Amino acid sequence: MLKIKNLHAQVGEHQILKGLDLEVMPGEVHAIMGPNGSGKSTLASVLSGRDLYEVTEGSVEFEGKDLLDLDASDRAREGLFLAFQYPVEIPGVSNINFMRAALNGKRAHKGLDPIKGKDFLAKVKECGELVELDGRLRDRSVNEGFSGGEKKRNEIFQMAMLEPKLAILDETDSGLDIDALRVVSKGVNAMRTPDRSFIVITHYQRLLDHIVPDYVHVLSGGKIVKTGGPELAMELEEKGYDWI
Amino acid sequence: MTGSSNNFVSKFTSQDNNSSIRNAGFEALEYLPVPTRKSERWKYSPITKLLSHTLSTKESDNTVWPQEISPNPVPHLNAYLIVFRNGVFISSLSDLPVAEGVVCSPMSSAGDQVFANTYHKTEWVGAINAAYHQDGLYLRVEKNVVLDRPIIIHHLTDGADVACFPRHLISIAEGAEVEVVVWSSATSESTGMYNGVLEAHVASNAHLKIDKVCNEDGEVFHFSHEQIIQESTSKYSMNTFTIKGYWVRNELNILSNGAGTDSVFNGTFMPTGSEHVDNHTTMDHAHPDGTSSELYRGIMYDKSTGIFNGKIFVRKDAQRTNAFQQNTNIVADKGASINAKPELEIYADDVKCSHGCTVGQFDNEALFYLMSRGIDLKSAKSLLVRAFVGDVLNSVKSEDLRNKIMNLYSEKHNW
Repeated sequence: MLKIKNLHAQVGEHQILKGLDLEVMPGEVHAIMGPNGSGKSTLASVLSGRDLYEVTEGSVEFEGKDLLDLDASDRAREGLFLAFQYPVEIPGVSNINFMRAALNGKRAHKGLDPIKGKDFLAKVKECGELVELDGRLRDRSVNEGFSGGEKKRNEIFQMAMLEPKLAILDETDSGLDIDALRVVSKGVNAMRTPDRSFIVITHYQRLLDHIVPDYVHVLSGGKIVKTGGPELAMELEEKGYDWI
Repeated sequence: MTGSSNNFVSKFTSQDNNSSIRNAGFEALEYLPVPTRKSERWKYSPITKLLSHTLSTKESDNTVWPQEISPNPVPHLNAYLIVFRNGVFISSLSDLPVAEGVVCSPMSSAGDQVFANTYHKTEWVGAINAAYHQDGLYLRVEKNVVLDRPIIIHHLTDGADVACFPRHLISIAEGAEVEVVVWSSATSESTGMYNGVLEAHVASNAHLKIDKVCNEDGEVFHFSHEQIIQESTSKYSMNTFTIKGYWVRNELNILSNGAGTDSVFNGTFMPTGSEHVDNHTTMDHAHPDGTSSELYRGIMYDKSTGIFNGKIFVRKDAQRTNAFQQNTNIVADKGASINAKPELEIYADDVKCSHGCTVGQFDNEALFYLMSRGIDLKSAKSLLVRAFVGDVLNSVKSEDLRNKIMNLYSEKHNW
């Protein structure tokens, strides 16, 4: 599904990714851990098409297509989703209109007609219930005045609405209390299918108790330096990154 | 300086009504200089190009109404209509209210009226209007009368080197309520000058609401000046929408002339190409316990130029005034510019005044967020733009009018 080869990326003059390789097969969950500044969020940004980052070397193939050749909206339309570490507040754009525009953009890309009002509302209800998103939040401006936990639940709500092939969760657990973590994880687990893959970026093993990965990678100095199973996360939690 | 205006006004004809205001206008033209960049008020809105024209005012117009413009700019709105073409009242296209407690007619049949504003004494443009003004709306509404429908004033500028100089007077008595839409259009081949003055008196507890829309094709220099005089506990609400206009200057002056007035005035402008839009507002709190709220939002595209100048005076006696002003601008393209200047002069010591003025770009984080969900760049921008101007548009009470304005913006901007 996703093939990253020798990826180098920089912000301005600052080289952050220095030859990263990663392959994700359909249905797999990959966790990426690593110390601060190792390039975890940069990887998420580069994959989702934030143009702040410049790819200087390497390639990313998504379902056989050159991902780096597409802009952010086309990547999303091809089935990529990024759950933001810091979801953006957009005053004046309602959550519902936002999702309708997103869903219909994706449908247009596939040559489908806009979704029918009734079907859309049913989907909103279903996905909202999945992450226990308060009905009022669906009508409010995107993330405006949402608590930290509500913002993260809104990310998973959007993910459920858009049904991506590959979802990247960028520190979705940061700022969550135990209950919110449980709700968010439940939402993610409910979306696990044999075809859908996840890249879960996190600092803490805690999240991986809820979302059990197939692989755990340690990112350090812009490269993946160690790969293992879920037990690697436990070991990191115990010994810290210095151990690697 | 007055010499240089002689050619400019040579073909203007002055009508014989309202001789006192006309004489005052002519007198002022003797000493008022033509505005130049040297004057602070005109620094960013030079009118040199206009002065190279020789304009003429028309006294009557019997030619066929042009196809490209509908006589009623908002046909879906259930409203009265008064139509002026090149400043001339068109009776056959108008539908004026006839009701008890309402006097509504063209100025030309309202007899001599006294105006309170002194615009003609301080500004050359004002003096030109006073001396050569044509027709306008005269509206007087008696105590506690609520006019059942809005009145649309539609101005069409149509022709080469046309002078369109309306002058309106609105006076609404205690407890009365009136809504007015001032709409200006111009045909695509038009050149010349629109120079309109509107004076309104809002008595105690009365409420006047004006929505002003400039949607002009062609190359018309558009000057409009509103002077609003509010008595105690009256309310004035206004929205100023510049949709299309080659060169537009909106001047709004509100005087709080009694205690406890409430003034709400908003505006949006999104010029493209080389359009020029200037909004000058003055809110004068001269009495205690008044509130005012002002919100202007602009997005500058292409090589357009914009100006926002918002003055708020809080006089010594205007204690417990609560004044709010916000002006937010986005410069969307490299060649575009805006000059924004809030000016607050506060002489009372127990007041609450806040203001904010920003010039920025599209929020790239928000754009990326929308795009990362599969919304293309153009749609993402238009979502953000509609949200940006939504706060102003939502203050238009009538849905029909709001939709019409939104449709015109979206037509222009290809949303």
